[in-house]
Amino acid sequence: MYYVELLVIGLVWGCTYALMALGLTLVYGLLRILHVAQATVFTLGAYIGLLVANRTDSLPLAFVAATLSAGLLGPLIYRLVYEPILDKPPFVALVASIGVLIGMEDGFRLIFGPYGLSFDDNPWFTATWSLGGITLNLVQIWMVAAAVVLLSAFALFAARTRAGVAWRATVSDPVIAQNFGVSVMRVRYLNFFIASALAGIGGVLVGLLNNLVEPAMGSVISYKGLAIIVLGGLGNVPGTLVASLALGVVESFGSVFLDKVLDRDAMAFLFLIVVLMVRPKGLLGGAH
Amino acid sequence: MDYYLSVATFAALNVVLALGLNMISGFCGQVSLGHAAFYGLGAYAAALCSVAGMPFVLSVLVGVVVAGAFGVVVGFAALRVRDDFLAIVTMGVGFLFLGVVRKQAWLGAEMGIARIPSPMGKGGYALMAIGAAIALVLLSLHVRRSWMGRAFDAVAQDEDAARTIGVDVAGYKTVAFLLGTASAGLAGAIYAHMTQLIVPDAFNFIQSITILAMVVVGGIGSTLGVVLGAVLLTVMPELFRFINDYKLLVYGALLLLVMRFSPEGFAGLYRRVTGRRLA
Amino acid sequence: MKLKLLAGVALLGAVLAAPAAAQQPPIRIGFHAPLTGFAASDGKSSLNGAQLAVEDINAAGGVNGRKLELVVEDDQAKPEQAVPLANKYIGDGLKLVVSGSYSGPTRAAAGVFQAAKIPYISAYAIHPDITRAGDYVFRTAFMGEVQGKAAAKLVGDILKKKRVTLISLNNDFGQALSAGFKDVAGKFGLDIVSEYTYGMGDRQFGSIVASVKRDNPEVLYVSGYFFNGGPLVAQLRAGGVKAEIVGTEGFDTYNFISIAKDAAEGVLVTTSLDRDSKLPQMRKFIDDYEAKYKVGADMVAASTYSAIEVAAAALAKAGPNDPAKLREAIAATRDLPTAVGKLTFNSLGEVNKAGQIQVIKGGKFHHFATIDDPVLLAAPTK
Repeated sequence: MYYVELLVIGLVWGCTYALMALGLTLVYGLLRILHVAQATVFTLGAYIGLLVANRTDSLPLAFVAATLSAGLLGPLIYRLVYEPILDKPPFVALVASIGVLIGMEDGFRLIFGPYGLSFDDNPWFTATWSLGGITLNLVQIWMVAAAVVLLSAFALFAARTRAGVAWRATVSDPVIAQNFGVSVMRVRYLNFFIASALAGIGGVLVGLLNNLVEPAMGSVISYKGLAIIVLGGLGNVPGTLVASLALGVVESFGSVFLDKVLDRDAMAFLFLIVVLMVRPKGLLGGAH
Repeated sequence: MDYYLSVATFAALNVVLALGLNMISGFCGQVSLGHAAFYGLGAYAAALCSVAGMPFVLSVLVGVVVAGAFGVVVGFAALRVRDDFLAIVTMGVGFLFLGVVRKQAWLGAEMGIARIPSPMGKGGYALMAIGAAIALVLLSLHVRRSWMGRAFDAVAQDEDAARTIGVDVAGYKTVAFLLGTASAGLAGAIYAHMTQLIVPDAFNFIQSITILAMVVVGGIGSTLGVVLGAVLLTVMPELFRFINDYKLLVYGALLLLVMRFSPEGFAGLYRRVTGRRLA
Repeated sequence: MKLKLLAGVALLGAVLAAPAAAQQPPIRIGFHAPLTGFAASDGKSSLNGAQLAVEDINAAGGVNGRKLELVVEDDQAKPEQAVPLANKYIGDGLKLVVSGSYSGPTRAAAGVFQAAKIPYISAYAIHPDITRAGDYVFRTAFMGEVQGKAAAKLVGDILKKKRVTLISLNNDFGQALSAGFKDVAGKFGLDIVSEYTYGMGDRQFGSIVASVKRDNPEVLYVSGYFFNGGPLVAQLRAGGVKAEIVGTEGFDTYNFISIAKDAAEGVLVTTSLDRDSKLPQMRKFIDDYEAKYKVGADMVAASTYSAIEVAAAALAKAGPNDPAKLREAIAATRDLPTAVGKLTFNSLGEVNKAGQIQVIKGGKFHHFATIDDPVLLAAPTK
């Protein structure tokens, strides 16, 4: 029972990672950029969500606000930071992204203070739901639900809608897609919108889960997110999902059984390095 | 006086670190996001030796060798992966190093290693650090102009093409890692004896990013540019104490602006102004 | 003739009055803390405590009539910034410096100050090596080990429980606390059922909670800061863990309560602050802090406030000009009433004081017990 519980917890954590990592893989798949600044939209979503929730006492409104604000910031970052340097070597985008991450983290600290903010009213925080000896917090259940719903929605979008097909075409081959009339520019903006909105929602959920929104809450998840997308095979969406869940489970078991040997954050990277040595293209191979 | 001496010493250490990373990432095109781990390896190895009673010079040597040895191992790993994968793997190496150190009692765990004997005074360390920095500048300039530098160039530009013309890609990647990480080990050994207490936090990912920032702001690949970048980024917090509270905001903005407007850093600016390449 | 006499008297009067009218310059002491960077939240608390202390001291007449002034610098909790800062303070002629920063930078700077024979007081950094830098270095906070011992006594003697699980933060603070606890656990008849650790950045503890449920201890001894402890305690309670929870100094802040909400009820905290205190010094600190900053005081602020109090007392006794005399005055501090109780330094520069146990009831901190065991709580002398 204990082991099942650890597994379930790992899967819940995996869902959190998935919301962040999917955005990273979307950006990488389209532009080959390691979008570390994903942490920024994650944290922004969390802060906006918290402020709206505390001001209006409405969680649905908070989620909408978070999704919109994060979703709009993403394309803005693309436009201001990445677009002008697309033709430069890859480390340029990476360092620029890191610059955004560090700067914005401090910006959040300056605006909201270093202590972190909490929700005044967090109804799901201590509400739990038990099934057969496993107790889950309501926010965790929402986290899983959100991940499942959003990711399925994305899969449907990619497969069935015009915009989705256009997006997939652009990822595969931008030149041919353009020849077929796809607006590469619009696809990119859409891409960043989706990636960032997912992160923003993830941010509010994590904020609710911990009842704490802090300036640096996005960084570690962002770095681990990079490990996850490599694990999943850069640009490979299903791979990213599998890797996210796998990492969650590894951490769940690792933090109780390996904690005398290795730091929890290091486990993600150990897992990564081991996998890469055996399968250099990632768990499921690359998308390209 | 002492104030300027201590700033100069740290600046010199940063020059050594940045030039080492420049050799790996700039000369040989292998992006490394875990350079601080080698800084840490050198520091920990040297510290353990000194605390155990070994003479200073020997401890420093051990620091250099240990860092270089691990560098070679990572270099081998670099052979299996490339580009973006490598960046993240090196990031992972950094986290892994800290993850292990934090948990092992004999490595000091969270308390770090304390009471490291300090055989020299401030002046001694300043001299040693500056000496190391100068040595590394000369080494970098020499490598750049030598056949090894050309081979590095070829590997950085296009690995596959280099391989087809007979360049021992594997060999050169490994040598680059060896040189770069051994110099980081040297810096670490000096740092450990200077501050007499080393804690894991001093060698974390942020530190790796800081070193990368120095290389990138200076101009990746350019020795003198990188020296300038390292000195500037060390001295900046001191010079700009009035922007105290906004320090990291400014730092982040600086990285962003440099990447956006002059991705080749100072070296790029130099080239645009004079038309010549900065060594 | 009369005019000349009048002028002469006026001149004499002016000359005599001049010294009394002239303002003496303020006494400047150094103060460094991580105001930006990952440790900014503690840096802010520390600065708050220090600035409040200076205000209170100046309002009460200053140090022998002269105002006290802080020369504040940001070290980002990095040794490579603390060392040049130390040199700068020394070069600028400051005769006393207080550290509001973490262990790494404080230890590095301590070496510099010791070599320059300038007294240095560490407000809350707990690494044992800091005071071992020499006789010019002092510390006003409880060392980690000492706090851990106090907690063991609390669990064994006062709560009268036996089965304990330790959940420790992975850093020098957490390690020192659990080491101190384990050191005397046997003496108090405690049985350590299991131990878990977590990292500074962790906020999700699901696997630890599941493990604790399985182990079923009577008491949990948790070390960490409010941003770890808050979520952890909430998740423990939400997971159905009913054991008594004893937290450490890092929980002693209202931020902890606002995160954990109802889960914080009944949590015990080992600290040096007593919100119900009748001691005038402590009372004044707690009330003034709340009035000025509109938030409840925390331990970091309290420790820093007391460090400034110690500094001011020494300056009053030995004057601001001779560092060697200042050092002697600090070392001779005996039962000085401060915000964290009566302080006495031992030969190593460590402080001996009573420990406070606070309990959270009704969303507020209240007195639960005082641990006044000089033998148990004696700081090491080497």
